Amino acid sequence: MGKLSVNLNGLELKNPIMTASGTYGYASEYNDFIDVSELGAVVTKAISLYPRAGNKHLRITETKAGMINSIGLENVGIEKFIEVKLPELIENNIDFVMNVAGSTLDEYVKVAKICDDNNIKAIELNVSCPNVKAGCLEFGTDENSLFELVSAVRAVYNGFLIVKLTPNVTSIEKLGIAAQKAGANALSAINTLKGTSIKIDFIKGKFYKTIVQGGYSGIGIKPVAVGAVSRLVKAVDIPVIGMGGIETLDDVLEFFAAGAEAVQIGTANFTHPETAGKLVKELEDFITNNGFKDLNELKRELRA
Amino acid sequence: MSKKIYKAKVHRIEKVSASSHFIEIKCETPVEIKAGQFISIYCDGLTLRRPFSVYSNNEGRIGVLFKERGKGTKYIKSLKVGDSIDVAGPFGNTFNIENKKALLVGAGIGAAPISYLKSKLDEQGIENFFACGFLNKDEVPNGMKIDMTCTDDGSFGEKGSVLNYLGVLINDYQPEVIYACGPHIVLKKVAELGETYGIETQVAMEKVMACGIGVCRGCVIDIKKDGKIVNATVCKDGPVFKGNEVVWEN
Repeated sequence: MGKLSVNLNGLELKNPIMTASGTYGYASEYNDFIDVSELGAVVTKAISLYPRAGNKHLRITETKAGMINSIGLENVGIEKFIEVKLPELIENNIDFVMNVAGSTLDEYVKVAKICDDNNIKAIELNVSCPNVKAGCLEFGTDENSLFELVSAVRAVYNGFLIVKLTPNVTSIEKLGIAAQKAGANALSAINTLKGTSIKIDFIKGKFYKTIVQGGYSGIGIKPVAVGAVSRLVKAVDIPVIGMGGIETLDDVLEFFAAGAEAVQIGTANFTHPETAGKLVKELEDFITNNGFKDLNELKRELRA
Repeated sequence: MSKKIYKAKVHRIEKVSASSHFIEIKCETPVEIKAGQFISIYCDGLTLRRPFSVYSNNEGRIGVLFKERGKGTKYIKSLKVGDSIDVAGPFGNTFNIENKKALLVGAGIGAAPISYLKSKLDEQGIENFFACGFLNKDEVPNGMKIDMTCTDDGSFGEKGSVLNYLGVLINDYQPEVIYACGPHIVLKKVAELGETYGIETQVAMEKVMACGIGVCRGCVIDIKKDGKIVNATVCKDGPVFKGNEVVWEN
């Protein structure tokens, strides 16, 4: 066990730095920039039962403090994931969590069952994507629907089950409690905030508008994320993985102080593709250089 | 030829036309970059790196042409010789170079990657003709080697859009392949002419990007593949596509 290792309610990670779904592809794409196998875990792009083409084509825009995306869960589908991506992850020795999305309860359950059959040891349920017409977010905003969904997945999946929560609710705690009751092993928070950008150009007396409606991510959402994590850890007994706007070691420490046991790096991977690998090293150096015994001691001191 | 992040320095930055600038970025080691590929520049404080087609590449000095269009290019324009610059790449696929007589078509800032392609074709002794369109005389970048320049107002070279001359050029020059980069309308027209005359076309596309490596799926376009319409990322599957595989939007 290294200084940075984390035991997330049974799931052992070599360090607490993970990467967020949708920002890291299927992991191998980042091997040009860092050794991805050194990360705590990579969370894959959301995988659905069938391949998805995603939304039509104005999908991203930059905002003052981040970006808005409306990708719509484009992915290769579970069959191809198992056939092509899974062997790649295993061969490259990458610890990963498979993110699961669906339009119906039945789809989530089928994907989870396939994961169970293929010994995928951890999955993250995406019940919080704001960019698709059916499913997903509607499970994540209603505690009864969420309880039903997580229970159904739990019944077929024996591995480590993370539920990724949306901030687009009045009380994220209630959703966290529902997921815990239904058998989730951990929570992750937050997914993107629902947002809209209207860029206006005024050319030769005429307005031109570029509208992107979707999920807002990046540094601007960090206070929302830290707030959500703080409230969740008080409400549940299972570990919370924090994410939202993390770019630096200070941001990571902030999430630990709020009670997160691990963190995920998202949008920052686009700006600086080496971010996650760099943070592992910086966290390790911080612990060593400041005389902490290990990560657990660091977290205890941060929360004292 | 793996992708990397280069902590580089600004070697040269200068205005080369009324609205375009040339920046040359010195990396510690030479970087192999093929024609059509791009680099992305981190612009201080901005979330998304800005992608630029490569215009020149000599002994570790990567050159790009840009116009000030928004916050990113404003930042790049503000850089001075000797300033640090964070560059990643090279990204994307490449123009497919074969020993085929080539017609090169550029329009506006899209002239940059075509000019780089021309230098590669010249190196390999492949016959080519470079036609390029600009708004007016003042928009023609200093030092760009062009065989036929068109300006919308006729202030330099031929008068009118480069598109008006393509039919004649194809008939007179008889190219075996057409390469193009520029506004959507130019690329679409080149693709159509390619179909009409039965000539292969390769076009370099542009789109707002986040990751630059195909993971975020933010920059997809529709292409035709095996009788189906599928997504292709401009950053990784492109930026160069065959004109006849792109589903052209109106």
